[in-house]
Amino acid sequence: MATQSQPSGSDRLEESIIALLLGVMTLMTFANVVARYVFNSNIFYALELTVFLFAWLVLLGASYAVKKTLHLGVDAVVNAVKPTVKKPLGLFVVAVCLIYALLLLKGSWDYWAPYANLPPTSGRWFPTGFVEKYRGQGWYETQDIPVPFFLTWLETVFNEGEAYEKMPKVVPYLVMPLSMGLLVYRFIQAGMRVWRGEQDMLIVSHEAEDDVAQAAQRLKAEEQGQK
Amino acid sequence: MEVLLLFVLVIGLMLVGTPIAVALGFSSVMFLLVFSESTLASVAQTLFEAFEGHSTLLAIPFFILASSFMSTGGVAARIIRFSIALVGHLRGGLAIAGVLACMIFAALSGSSPATVVAIGSIVIAAMRQVGYTKEFAAGVIANAGTLGILIPPSIVMVVYAAAVEVSVGRMFLAGVIPGLLAGTMLMIGIYIMARIKDMPAGEFKGFREILNSFREAAWGLMLIVIIMVGIYGIPGVTGAIFTPTEAAAVASIYAFLVATFVYRDMGPLKEGRSLLKNPHTLITALWHKDTVNTLRDAGKLIITLMFVIANALLLKHVITDEQIPQQITETMLAYGFGPIMFLIIVNVILLIGGQFMEPSGLLVIVAPLVFPIAIELGIDPIHLGIIMVVNMEIGMITPPVGLNLFVTAGVANMSMMGVVRAALPFLGIMFIFLILVTYVPSISTFLPNTLMGPEIIAK
Repeated sequence: MATQSQPSGSDRLEESIIALLLGVMTLMTFANVVARYVFNSNIFYALELTVFLFAWLVLLGASYAVKKTLHLGVDAVVNAVKPTVKKPLGLFVVAVCLIYALLLLKGSWDYWAPYANLPPTSGRWFPTGFVEKYRGQGWYETQDIPVPFFLTWLETVFNEGEAYEKMPKVVPYLVMPLSMGLLVYRFIQAGMRVWRGEQDMLIVSHEAEDDVAQAAQRLKAEEQGQK
Repeated sequence: MEVLLLFVLVIGLMLVGTPIAVALGFSSVMFLLVFSESTLASVAQTLFEAFEGHSTLLAIPFFILASSFMSTGGVAARIIRFSIALVGHLRGGLAIAGVLACMIFAALSGSSPATVVAIGSIVIAAMRQVGYTKEFAAGVIANAGTLGILIPPSIVMVVYAAAVEVSVGRMFLAGVIPGLLAGTMLMIGIYIMARIKDMPAGEFKGFREILNSFREAAWGLMLIVIIMVGIYGIPGVTGAIFTPTEAAAVASIYAFLVATFVYRDMGPLKEGRSLLKNPHTLITALWHKDTVNTLRDAGKLIITLMFVIANALLLKHVITDEQIPQQITETMLAYGFGPIMFLIIVNVILLIGGQFMEPSGLLVIVAPLVFPIAIELGIDPIHLGIIMVVNMEIGMITPPVGLNLFVTAGVANMSMMGVVRAALPFLGIMFIFLILVTYVPSISTFLPNTLMGPEIIAK
């Protein structure tokens, strides 16, 4: 069950970003429909931009969901084991999650770095150093999204001063290393909570857990009211 | 052999409490690193492409958002009032009205647990009040709540359409007749039980009440009209107006406007303030506390669901690369298994899996595995989709650990075993329904084939 404590500063920041991304996605798609039927035109970059916002929402949100223990899982077995087994099991799960996040962090860096004219790492499992010979791909652009005025400095940094016609890919793909880094950080925190015994699972059993508790209270209150 | 290892790893990790998304992602990454040439960079790329390459999935966040706006307020209560006005006077009427309300709400929400929570918390109390047993009430709601994923628009269907690349529009249409059929079968079952056990009947409150309650509920019901007319157009008048994704986004905006400015269950006009005196609220409602909270809560659902799906698509990548379905098909054909045997196997896998796992996540894993086999055996892809959805519905109410049983037990403050026993008679009805849907393909394919032309199946 998610703890209903006072939201911290980082909670509020993350929650605002989640709400904002989802809100902008919705308005953007809606505006495109309005443009098509009312103004007989088309926001040609709406779909691509919405897809990127969607990716940012889910990938950044994944680490928030670790912090709030929102990730879906199967708790039937875990709930049945003896309390003494719970902690080692929890630590094992944390280890699996950390390995996953670390491997993907390396993968994300290797994927993103060329778009930022940075070297990817060498090594198959572990980063053993940086590749010395690589081809920067800073000139790769998205299909439709224009470069907003406040990002024109990108061309001096990533494209040797040559103006971008569209948003360079370095921007949307940035979310990969960013989100996986955050994921590692949150899994470490969760691992420490499990170690200290403040939490024994990294999962909830289903999406509506909080709502069910509220509904049960409402029902109980109503029944007591009748008696 | 390696493949078996992969699935054992996935299931084993899930059972010890690893988040489903990580269990899927971790196993896929391990498999790719050990048994293939793929690099971690290509894994990261595949993960990002879950979004970039599957714009069908973009409909999911908007459907979830629309349903969140619709569930914040008294929409459920209004739908229940309308249902009671329609069928409440029959023997066992309140239970039948509960099923009807679940069917209508299912069309607004697309999620089964959400339907149980919204309708169950009101209907169970009302049924207790007029003398039904709590067990009976809980059994009705646990079963009717599963219709959430069958009656369109359904998030699970969007996931299926994205996973195997069929049209979302076809899937939605295909769900209409089975959804109505399942609801009707449940209602008839309840009516017969009510006749035998002489359950209470409400009084008929007249056509005025039907009209009034309809007028109240109409704003919510319009959402279904917007989505369906938007995706399919009006036959003979207009073609499709929106893509499913756009329809869902328009539905979100509509649901926001209705919840904030018409029903005023949330937002700046909640305490009966007048819109005329506070015209600025038209704009400020956009960042009102209630709006932001709804966006945030919907966001949480979207994140957890989509993170599972994105990682399941990693696994799908592995499955497709390794040509696992082809191998299974060959084995099956070698043993002389036909379509019927195959469908039974699919039924069993999904019934078991549906107990443990969130339906969308399960579907994303199982669909790519069985889809190529089904096509090889000549099963219609849309029909297969409906079979899978119905299977997962039943998985949700199958003891010992069906998801809807848990949710109902939680809502009704009952023991798990109590709900299991209560749901059992209706589970029988759902099983008959499953057999019907599995072996009579036209129940699913009639509507899409009639309205959208026959399906072209590319092998």
